[in-house]
Amino acid sequence: MSKEKKVKKPRISAGKLARREAMAGYLFVLPWMIGVVIFLLRPLFTSFQFSLNNIRITPKGRMFNFVGYQNYTQIWLEDPEFPVELMGYMWSTLLSVPVIVVFALIIAMLLNGKIHMKGFFRLIFFLPVIIVSGPVMNMLVADGAATIPSMDIQAISTALDQFLPHSLVESISELFNNMIMILWYSGVQILIFLSALQKIDGSLYEAAKIDGGSGWECFWKITLPTIKPMVLLNAVYTVIFLSNHGNNAIIGMIQNSMFSGTKEKGYGYAAAMAWIYSLVVTLIVLLFAFLLAGRKDIYERQVIKVKRAKKKEIQMVKKIERRGKANAKKIQKARLRKKYRSYDKNRED
Amino acid sequence: MAYRGHKINPQRFEKSQLKIIAMILPIVFVMGLPIVFIFCHAFKPMEELFAYPPQFFVYNPTFENFTKLFKASRTAGIPMSRYAFNSILITASVVAASLLLTTMAAFALSKLRFKGKGMLMQINQTALMFVSVAVMIPRYLTVNVLGLTDTYLAHILPLVALPVALFLVKQFVDQVPDSLIEAAYIDGASDWHVYVRIIVPMIKPAIATAAILVFQQVWGNMETSNYYVNDEGLKTLTFYMNTLANANNTVAGQGMAAAAALIMFVPNLVLFIILQNNVMNTMAHSGIK
Repeated sequence: MSKEKKVKKPRISAGKLARREAMAGYLFVLPWMIGVVIFLLRPLFTSFQFSLNNIRITPKGRMFNFVGYQNYTQIWLEDPEFPVELMGYMWSTLLSVPVIVVFALIIAMLLNGKIHMKGFFRLIFFLPVIIVSGPVMNMLVADGAATIPSMDIQAISTALDQFLPHSLVESISELFNNMIMILWYSGVQILIFLSALQKIDGSLYEAAKIDGGSGWECFWKITLPTIKPMVLLNAVYTVIFLSNHGNNAIIGMIQNSMFSGTKEKGYGYAAAMAWIYSLVVTLIVLLFAFLLAGRKDIYERQVIKVKRAKKKEIQMVKKIERRGKANAKKIQKARLRKKYRSYDKNRED
Repeated sequence: MAYRGHKINPQRFEKSQLKIIAMILPIVFVMGLPIVFIFCHAFKPMEELFAYPPQFFVYNPTFENFTKLFKASRTAGIPMSRYAFNSILITASVVAASLLLTTMAAFALSKLRFKGKGMLMQINQTALMFVSVAVMIPRYLTVNVLGLTDTYLAHILPLVALPVALFLVKQFVDQVPDSLIEAAYIDGASDWHVYVRIIVPMIKPAIATAAILVFQQVWGNMETSNYYVNDEGLKTLTFYMNTLANANNTVAGQGMAAAAALIMFVPNLVLFIILQNNVMNTMAHSGIK
């Protein structure tokens, strides 16, 4: 018999450090979370509940009348405007987001160059977005300042009408119609791109130049890959901006039906509208996220592969260990019951 | 040699800048239209405001609209300075609070490891998609339940958690190299120290951008004054300007609306001019060489 006492290993509580870090994480997020839960999530949840009800505000208070998904079916089947507007919104967003992002990128690249009076230019590019979100916008559009005057949109749209669905053509001609307005929307995106461009290490470009890279190549091989996360950010931001700003027809519709006193509309109906709308917005964002999400490069893929293989190996080892233990137990039991026939002749059991 | 940093802004005009300026100038002209318009519009006399076809530029600038606006405000019971004070207080506190919370949450979500992190981010993304109009009434109910109606908090609290700002700041925190943070931990820094000494200085451009965003949203916000506050003395300048312009919703209101739009626009301009240097130059000096 060996005299080795079986020393029970002092169990290190799994990741004291990790737990501390998690603690800190929760502490840092907590204030934010409280705000979000109270003023965003709870209202969201309530609005979903409302969307399943027909709500009328009477002098006695709010009258709830549970109707299930009727509000939703009513919107799709009976509302004459909402589905049409929604389609129009979808097309126009899908079309104008790339325009805005690309335009913002070009401007940001230009502003990032070495020029005098940069601050002034930046100011000019950023300010329209503030004005545009105000009431002044309507006056401007009325003045016809938002269109490019010499463009013959009618000709373009009739030409396109022959081989594209009508709603798409409408959105395209609207895009051309409001081309300048769309450019005005790109202030924040330019800022985001600029601050991303600032962070690119200048020596990368120097190295590329020494190796004989042209400016064009530098853009595709250095600039674009580096700011790729920001492209996604900007696309998402643009979608959110376009779907939330005051000139949006759908927002107006939601607001109108919210305060309409008719029997079938009212807040429940508006809430259902808002849910459908936000679902569409989410779909659009997901689409862009899917298109732009960083595809991992070869190195990262390799790392992930190795990690996965290692994990599998560890699992395998554990499995084998477990199986071995189980088997040992089984053998022990069998031996106790004398059912186990040992082939070991030297053994004396 | 003394450290000179990257010279981002050339001091003088040089010939090599000509091609960039040639490209930018036409776009600058287009982008400048609304700014020119808002200034012109505020100084237009009555007959030019309603001229047909509409005029873009002002030919006989007057201060008529402004004097009318101030005259109208003098007849009201509450002085304009009260509204201005409300607006400034509310905007300043929302911007400060939301930036603090946003950067803290972004740091945690991006760099610290804890359970449910991915879920929190998902929640934020979902909240991002939702139009604020839809949650207006439930929000009112919440404000009511918390007993915040007719306080400054009713203005401030609902706007503090702005998902867009978190989304933006988090993207920038993601780009802070991990090795920098690890080095700080090895040197004995606590999480709070890392947040204050490393994260915040490194993402200053993002903070400045987020500040502009938040400011813009809060400053132009009328929802809270409209729905959550009954006390006239607690409403904001934006609300007041809007009612003034809308109350005399006649011909005279148009001129006043134009003047009010210009007055509301100026703070944005000032803030941007102050913050824009922050947006640019800090990044060049920070980080790893």
